[in-house]
Amino acid sequence: MKLAEMRESFNDFWSEFKKEKTGVIGLIFFAIFLFIVIFEPFLLPFEDANTRWRDISYWEDWPKSAPPAWTNWFTSEKKSVTGTLTEYSESSQDMGAMVMKEFVFEYDYQYDDAPNDIIIHGDASGQPIVVVNIVRPDGEEIEVFQSAYNAGERTKDIRISIDNSSRSTIYNFAKKYESSENLSNVKQGLIKTTNGIFSKAQEGILRYPEPLKGEYQIKVTAILRDETDNMASPYIVLPGKVSGVLGTDSQKRDIWTGVLAGVKWALLIGILTAIVSVSIGVIYGVISAYLGGWKDALMQRIFEVFVSVPLLPVLIVLSAVFEPSIWMMVVLMAMFFWTGSVKTVRSMAMQIKEETFIEASRALGASNFRIIFKHMVPILIPYSFSSMALFIPRAVVYEASISLLGLGDSQIVTWGQILSDALNSGAVLNGLWWWVVPPGLAIAFMGMAFAFIGFSMDKILHPKLRTR
Amino acid sequence: MSNNKYLVEVENLQKWFPTRRTMGEVFKGQQRYVKAVDGVSFKIERGEIFGLVGESGCGKTTTGKLIMKLLDPTGGKLIFDADDVTHLDKVGLDTYRQNVQMVFQDPYASMNPRFRLRDVLEEPLIIHKKGGTKAERMEMVKKALNEVRLQPPEEFMVRFPHMLSGGQRQRGATARSLILNPKMIVADEPVSMIDLSTRAEILHMMKTVQRELNLTYLYITHDLSTARYFTDKIAVMYLGKIVEMGVPNDVIDNSFHPYTKALITAVCEPIAGKVNRIKEVPIKGEVPSAENIPQGCRFHPRCPYAIKECWEKEEPVLEEVEKGHFVACRRYKEI
Repeated sequence: MKLAEMRESFNDFWSEFKKEKTGVIGLIFFAIFLFIVIFEPFLLPFEDANTRWRDISYWEDWPKSAPPAWTNWFTSEKKSVTGTLTEYSESSQDMGAMVMKEFVFEYDYQYDDAPNDIIIHGDASGQPIVVVNIVRPDGEEIEVFQSAYNAGERTKDIRISIDNSSRSTIYNFAKKYESSENLSNVKQGLIKTTNGIFSKAQEGILRYPEPLKGEYQIKVTAILRDETDNMASPYIVLPGKVSGVLGTDSQKRDIWTGVLAGVKWALLIGILTAIVSVSIGVIYGVISAYLGGWKDALMQRIFEVFVSVPLLPVLIVLSAVFEPSIWMMVVLMAMFFWTGSVKTVRSMAMQIKEETFIEASRALGASNFRIIFKHMVPILIPYSFSSMALFIPRAVVYEASISLLGLGDSQIVTWGQILSDALNSGAVLNGLWWWVVPPGLAIAFMGMAFAFIGFSMDKILHPKLRTR
Repeated sequence: MSNNKYLVEVENLQKWFPTRRTMGEVFKGQQRYVKAVDGVSFKIERGEIFGLVGESGCGKTTTGKLIMKLLDPTGGKLIFDADDVTHLDKVGLDTYRQNVQMVFQDPYASMNPRFRLRDVLEEPLIIHKKGGTKAERMEMVKKALNEVRLQPPEEFMVRFPHMLSGGQRQRGATARSLILNPKMIVADEPVSMIDLSTRAEILHMMKTVQRELNLTYLYITHDLSTARYFTDKIAVMYLGKIVEMGVPNDVIDNSFHPYTKALITAVCEPIAGKVNRIKEVPIKGEVPSAENIPQGCRFHPRCPYAIKECWEKEEPVLEEVEKGHFVACRRYKEI
């Protein structure tokens, strides 16, 4: 087929496809998925998520099991949203024997519920002493942290978590204001550090904290006693009570990131499996129909063996035996999915085979190969496309099922694996709906998109299968 | 190249299709057959147009397909150009296909609707590896289209079959069969699906091509009038056997076999006053099933002249009653 012809027939197809509303909806969803895949590097909040999804240290700064940030819109008590502070004013003071470097961060706190922690990061080298002071809107200044680091000659990332290291400091700070009755009810080791920092200095600061809204200053001071000592480019993470577009899971991972990263795998698994299996199925069906006789009968018996094997148990067993990888899964699914189109193709090919032009071709001396691939298969291409579109959701759901059972490819993030983690962590029992619903919906939408496209294509292309 | 006078010799050719067996027959080891072609013999001279005439289901198309080697004969012998081609291997078949080509009844169905005319015509060249480059092949396609008077060829080459009229399609189909320079063409009712107005034109074209290229035709038809116009020799088939054979004038104007006579009577004549009269055809009934061929003379149940010996004695054989005029009837002299 020439390019112009293809464009012509595509235009015909498109003008009919436009009239199918469901098809257009499916296509829009597909376009959105495609957009996400193409612009994934710009859309992912965590750029290394693809490689470090299962790396606990990558996610350690973030809150655990936090609902999505937008849940604040529906509640009167505004919970703190996870944020990072990267802007600071830097000043340096030479004090002869040592240099004091001060980084001042501004934090505008306007929530009702304090963040979980204040985590300070910075690149350090040598042996700096790091001091953290917090200046509250009411003028109180608390020195929450002080410690000397031994970073060595290389520049190293240091991490300071206020929640653990400053509990006693905050307790001592709060003790001044809290009533003795309340104090007796509070255990020092169990107080929430950030509650003390972000609450009004009054009675009940520990027992019934009231938020102190306003501008906070977090001063990070590095005392450098040597030429080699240094501290640079600090930033602060405030893991909030709510986080991100779709919240976080119990392993502190951002679910929105996971869902976005899963799009490409779902598309890849779906499309690859569909193309491979439909191609095999169409060719198998055509060959079976064309050869006829005992060869056809034999091929149909083989086909029936494959049809009667239940795929899911086989996949489960094979995934357990082999190192499960996405490619193996695609191969396995293709090995069983090809049966889906065989019967239809065979019956269509039976009809095509009786056409005079096939006989004419044989009379010209055409080989079976030529007749099958030049005359018969091209007629079945429209059918193949629509059936591919219908196979994609099946493959996506199967991969999700396998992953849900914990037998997925551990190198990648798929929706099924997010669901699997959710199930294993008791997300449903604990009411972490933001962990279960989004990947589930994503699977449903992906399936719906291709099912819509497939049904519409089927509707349009089917009448044209008749060659006359 | 042999100097044999005959290009094709068919000797007692048979094609029996086995029927699906019932359980009882499987146990008894029986097998019934549909005897589509049941012992056909004829010879076609070089450069001759041989007509095979008969009503639907008489086995004439099957005979054509046997000669085309689209079907394997059950029995008998097929000799082409002095070579026995009854059973051929792959290489032999390849050569044979270049020598014998076919024009089908429905010129639209015989072309892949997705192929342009040039692709349709190029196909035999690709299959038989004729013409080294695409450009060379296209030149050959043009030449073939010129031969069948599809002019200008450039214009027709890019068309799809559905963009051609019936006559143009059949010219295209003829061009396809000519492009390999065959010695013989089997034309299976090439004009029966074409408008009456263009029929003569196509037949004329085919005849011109035949003379120019010195081709041999096997012309299969149910239409006696075109057969008479077109052929050099006619064989009338009934239920898988030839019942009468000879030059058209003998067979049509001086027919001996009652079946031939009935066929001739059945031809419509567009003459005022005659068209709206339903003709009395001397024979009765329908063609019996080829699965269950009558005893004795296979025509006797329908024959108005049948007498006892027709079904009690063995089947009459084709014998030469005049010079070059063969008839298979016991009573041809009496009727």
